[in-house]
Amino acid sequence: MSAPSPSVPQPSTLNPQPLLSVRDLKTYFFPEEGTVRAVDGASFDVYPGETLGIVGESGCGKSVTARSILRIVEEPGKIVGGQIVLNDGSRRVELTRLKADGREMRAIRGATISYIFQEPMTSFSPVHTIGNQIMEAILFHRRVSKQEARDRGVELLRRVGVPRAEQRMDEYAFQLSGGLRQRAMIAMALSCDPLLLIADEPTTALDVTTQAQILDLLRELQQQNGMAIMLITHNLGVVAEMANDVVVMYLGRVVEEGPVDDIFYKPKHPYTQALLKSIPSVHSTPRVVLPTISGSIPHPYNRPRGCPFHPRCPSFMPGTCDAYEPVLMTVEGSQKASCFLYQTPAPDHAVAPVATR
Amino acid sequence: MSAHLPTPNGARADQPLLDVRHLKKYFPIQRGFLRRVVGHVRAVDDVSFQVRQGETLSLVGESGCGKTTTARCILRALDPSAGEILFRTEHGEVVDVANVPRSRMRPLRREMQMIFQDPFSSLNPRMTLLEIVGEPLLVNGVSSRAERIERVAQLLRLVGLRPEFMRRFPHAFSGGQRQRIGIARALALEPRLVVADEAVSALDVSVQAQILNLMLELQQRLGLTYLFVAHDLSVVKHISDRVAVMYVGQIVELAETSKLFAQPLHPYTSALLSAIPEPDPRARSRRVILQGEVANPAAPPSGCYFHPRCPYAVDACRTLPPAWEEVQPGHFVRCHRARELTLPGVAAPPGNGKAGLN
Repeated sequence: MSAPSPSVPQPSTLNPQPLLSVRDLKTYFFPEEGTVRAVDGASFDVYPGETLGIVGESGCGKSVTARSILRIVEEPGKIVGGQIVLNDGSRRVELTRLKADGREMRAIRGATISYIFQEPMTSFSPVHTIGNQIMEAILFHRRVSKQEARDRGVELLRRVGVPRAEQRMDEYAFQLSGGLRQRAMIAMALSCDPLLLIADEPTTALDVTTQAQILDLLRELQQQNGMAIMLITHNLGVVAEMANDVVVMYLGRVVEEGPVDDIFYKPKHPYTQALLKSIPSVHSTPRVVLPTISGSIPHPYNRPRGCPFHPRCPSFMPGTCDAYEPVLMTVEGSQKASCFLYQTPAPDHAVAPVATR
Repeated sequence: MSAHLPTPNGARADQPLLDVRHLKKYFPIQRGFLRRVVGHVRAVDDVSFQVRQGETLSLVGESGCGKTTTARCILRALDPSAGEILFRTEHGEVVDVANVPRSRMRPLRREMQMIFQDPFSSLNPRMTLLEIVGEPLLVNGVSSRAERIERVAQLLRLVGLRPEFMRRFPHAFSGGQRQRIGIARALALEPRLVVADEAVSALDVSVQAQILNLMLELQQRLGLTYLFVAHDLSVVKHISDRVAVMYVGQIVELAETSKLFAQPLHPYTSALLSAIPEPDPRARSRRVILQGEVANPAAPPSGCYFHPRCPYAVDACRTLPPAWEEVQPGHFVRCHRARELTLPGVAAPPGNGKAGLN
């Protein structure tokens, strides 16, 4: 990849138009036992050239959000509400309106919006060579000859730092180490100059020194081609390192959103505050009792009413938090939180007297 | 709100609970129809360290460095290829775990127990908590059911679970609760050494803090000794008294936790420390990014195993294997240049402390 493609968007300071807008997204799963509201009204924007970190613990809906954007939510899941709008500067496409396996969505998936997943082992086919899989992606989206696709594949592997790229093209996923496999995955994701790269726990399965290499690579690639990155992770260290803006999710909702500095230095939502305090840091005093969040993440069928965090919240206000639903509102500057410490309950957000399942 | 839990100071440094000497574990590589041995993976390659009574020693390193194999050899889940593992029993007798016949291991196993990584696959889904936690008691001669029920109730209370739960099955519990069950089972026989292999890695951060607190509290109350195997350096810093860093089957550095983090003497330790992503956006690091990958333990490089990736390597590093030396009191390192290099450790916290607490 010699010159960046002409569609490189400007940084958001010059172009405040979001590349991707998610509004009130609701993705529910309907297994036989009941309804799981995996994503329950999430809203956020991703700006060109910037990194949005999405953090949360298991079951908070961060991966389902990514899958909803790519329209690869699996049965029995379904997007039941909200909008996902992709705006590449020249065209505005409402992804939620497209057919999941239609031609338009397939042209976007893997090209305009590309993705890398946590497990590089399971993301590659074990019976095709790395090269074949990268070439397949290029040939699907671009009108080029096989030879051109192969050349581009080699070039991409080189660019992500895979040594002996020419040879690696003919190897299988199992022949590569974890770090190399993740690099190959990134090469494949970059094959069609994506405007948005969704990285779902891209370094979780890797060792720290390899993680450092991969994060560095992602940052470098972003500087070169100006793509936006949506980084999904549970690791607050990785987010602090990479993100411009952060979205904190809990049980399918965005509980807090803001610039990375504000989130880490002036967290507003009690969940964000508790989460930050509960991680041991290499700087903190060893062998002291860590502050914890009481209880555990509720079972998906057993969703608390009102604010989903209220049973574990140290600032729980009876009669408010369990009776009304907070909304995501600006608290200070560009920092938003969904919490009654910063808003008064609106009567129309009262929860139904009987818990819905 | 945070009470300091000091290290039990009854520890007698002169008599370690566990003394591992020149431990080796080689796995044969077999090829072809006749399963001919064509080489060996040196998973653990001449490892020596001591664990003192009442302390927490952590083994850290990247995947494939041999930390888990070392732990499994100590519990004799694997038979070591060479070396000695001297364990001081309750009665003050010193037994070489590496060389006793397997039949004589049973009384020793009561004194060493393990906490596993994955609370989802390490508990039998068909057994109730009473059976899971009571099984070690039954095997070791507590045959009265009433006695077992009482003991299991005590153990569940000890790890912060309600005794009423004992008729339930593991699927009814969350990850953190399951890890508590695993801990209760490990503690059933009142062991003196607890080996925790990545005991908190699979847990969510909020739950991880709960389990770390529980482990520290139990150590305090029961005088336990922990051998903690982990890859997360923030967790290791939090829980350990001393830390041993492993690389390709060898311990490259061992020191007191604060020393190792502040003034590492081995370039690998220093690189490992700088690779930790800090949960503080203002500390975006000036990190040392190691080039290349971990060496293959079946065909390690000549000289120092770390030299191909080491920014400080000199000629001697390429040819001579470095010796395991006590460079400062209690600070062991395996590096030719340990005495001359000044390496960056974890810097003092920027500003007035940790993000999120201001």
